[in-house]
Amino acid sequence: MGREKLEVRKDQQKLTKKGGFNNRLFKIKLLGAVWFGKVLIVFTRILGRGGTTLPGRAALRIEPGLSSALTARLAEGSLVITGTNGKTTTSALITGMLKEAGFSCIHNQSGSNMSWGVASALIGSTSWSAYPVGDCAVMEVDEGAFPGVVKGIKPRGVVVTNIYRDQLDRYGEIDLIKNSIKIGLEVQPTDGFQVINADDPSLVGIADNSKTKRWTYGLELDLPVDQFQTGGRDIKTCPRCHKKLAYDKIYFAHIGHYHCPFCSYKRPEPDVKLVNRTINPDGTALLQISLPGENFELNFPLIGTYNLYNILAAVTCAKALAIPTAFIIKASEKAVPSFGRMELFEFNGKKITMALIKNPVGANEVLRTLLAQKNRIKLLVAINDKIADGTDVSWLWDVDFEQLVAIKDNLSTIIVSGLRAWDMAVRLKYAGFNPDQIKVEEDTAMAIVQTLEQSTPEEMLFILPTYTAMLEIRRHLNKMGLGKPYWED
Amino acid sequence: MALINIYHLYPEHLNLYGDRGNMLALSRRANWHGIEANIIPVEPGTLINFSNCDLLFMGGGQDSDQKLVAEDLKGRSSEIRKAIEEGMTIFAVCGSYQLLGHYYKTTLEEKIGGLEIIDLYTEAGSKRMIGNAVISCTLWDQPRTLVGFENHAGKTFLGPAMQPLGKVITGYGNNGVDKTEGAVYKNVIGTYLHGSLLPKNPWLTDYLLQKALSYRGQIFQPQILDDSLEQQAHNNAIRLAGSRRHKRISSQV
Repeated sequence: MGREKLEVRKDQQKLTKKGGFNNRLFKIKLLGAVWFGKVLIVFTRILGRGGTTLPGRAALRIEPGLSSALTARLAEGSLVITGTNGKTTTSALITGMLKEAGFSCIHNQSGSNMSWGVASALIGSTSWSAYPVGDCAVMEVDEGAFPGVVKGIKPRGVVVTNIYRDQLDRYGEIDLIKNSIKIGLEVQPTDGFQVINADDPSLVGIADNSKTKRWTYGLELDLPVDQFQTGGRDIKTCPRCHKKLAYDKIYFAHIGHYHCPFCSYKRPEPDVKLVNRTINPDGTALLQISLPGENFELNFPLIGTYNLYNILAAVTCAKALAIPTAFIIKASEKAVPSFGRMELFEFNGKKITMALIKNPVGANEVLRTLLAQKNRIKLLVAINDKIADGTDVSWLWDVDFEQLVAIKDNLSTIIVSGLRAWDMAVRLKYAGFNPDQIKVEEDTAMAIVQTLEQSTPEEMLFILPTYTAMLEIRRHLNKMGLGKPYWED
Repeated sequence: MALINIYHLYPEHLNLYGDRGNMLALSRRANWHGIEANIIPVEPGTLINFSNCDLLFMGGGQDSDQKLVAEDLKGRSSEIRKAIEEGMTIFAVCGSYQLLGHYYKTTLEEKIGGLEIIDLYTEAGSKRMIGNAVISCTLWDQPRTLVGFENHAGKTFLGPAMQPLGKVITGYGNNGVDKTEGAVYKNVIGTYLHGSLLPKNPWLTDYLLQKALSYRGQIFQPQILDDSLEQQAHNNAIRLAGSRRHKRISSQV
């Protein structure tokens, strides 16, 4: 982070030292927006909420240029992480590596990733004089909000994890999501860098024309054949000629080693590769990472193939930032599950795992982990249809809940909850469950209390909520003394 | 045992909004009613044997996938039309529904030809119509509600003699103007509703099965099924569609 940093600083000084009435007015409005936002954060937290939405929204209404002005005051600039899945974990891993290297980061770790979520996180870490407290910002950003945020905060680095089908009610068709990411990549200042998943054909297709320095990463492993191939498949057509792609390897969904038999389109040779994985006796994985002129190994505690992509994205981003390998290795070892991603709790000896579900590919990955469980399982699925969850619940039909039927003797009960509990109940019935095995409790508080009462220490309670259902459940768990409130790091 | 052949068009491409759920509902309910459902997935580029097809299901797809369908079926509209006149059942959702009509006119005034199977045309609108939708459907002696989710920019207009699938109670329907939703011609049903549509509206699933059976002179002997979960999901979806929270969301989009 050497010379670039200084240049960025000069730019900022130019910006902030500009005199004139308009500039002073802007500063006053900015100050007002920050103050108002900070007061709202205090109030929302007194009410037991996270303060990750409303304060940012209100402050942006006062001063739309707030995020842009605050990030411009950061010495090391900002990073933006987007993509359908893996945003939260990848940005947490990157933050970990930056912290290990001695930088202090502002990070929207609770997954509130619309423009107002970014603003709320910035305000939360900004002094009353409107100067952010930190060296850099690491922001996960929703795909739809991505172009706007990039335009506003002009990030040094952008990481795009993957593009799957997700919440189409909000964006219309997947082509619109792709377009949104494409625009975001194009408006990023060209002196920065972009980190792109080489194994995602549709993503590579979009990022092809960008003039910014591009880093790619990909898996080069032999993994067992994926049984979750029936649902959530989307983009297996060539982004150039729209014919069917051929695959040498598929890791999941449309992610793998592809080439187009009809034109020259193929997976680019990744800059950073994961070439080997061995499972340590304690369940963590030893990963061998290879990049031009360097090979190193690191221990990584998070399970699941999707987390291999997350760590690889983070390593690649850290390399692009020139963070020394020793810090990368150290931070990787300390990785913990992010907010609602396979989090573990214990209540009176009863074990709980909570895993956010929000789209078919992610949900199938969660089911895969659940199927590998040896304990007897109790399952609570909580489906809401608020904006942050996606108001269209038809994605539930693309999740392979059929796989659960195979282990139904190992499942004591399935409780369905949330605003769309009945949709979920019907989904399980058509997956092949006997309706008697499905219990509907629309109220999430009641559902969690009753489920915990009935579960035994021998069982593992899996809670699979959508985003807002997870916030509700987390509040109940916090009241029971489990976990920390989600706005605390 | 009664048997029906259900052709599923491009399961890999036309599955935009949980269309898998519609196929699942058809095959499960067929089995529960004692009907053997023979499901035949159709890949792009393969020829459908229309003389063997009782029910053709076409899901929603992205524009690029929709073009594949158009290319494969364009030369065969006379065969399809013949089968339809004889009573073949088609259930088409969203993009496939638009494809059944005369054309789709893009915002650039470019006309993309349809299969000209039913009398309707579609024009691209400036605003996407997204949200829960409830319609009153008159396929039965007593009108019944259908509830689903719509997400389309195209505005579809029916020819003067065309019957809509239903009248809009909540939502936009075909075009957001004339309160119609979907279209019915003989045993062809086209609709913008997904969700998936069939699981939450089991009477429509049974209707399709019955039509597909009678096409080959087989009699539908419905079993008495416990549909209480489906009915609850149906009622709950209607309640949510009418809620203030939902109205606020759909007006924002």
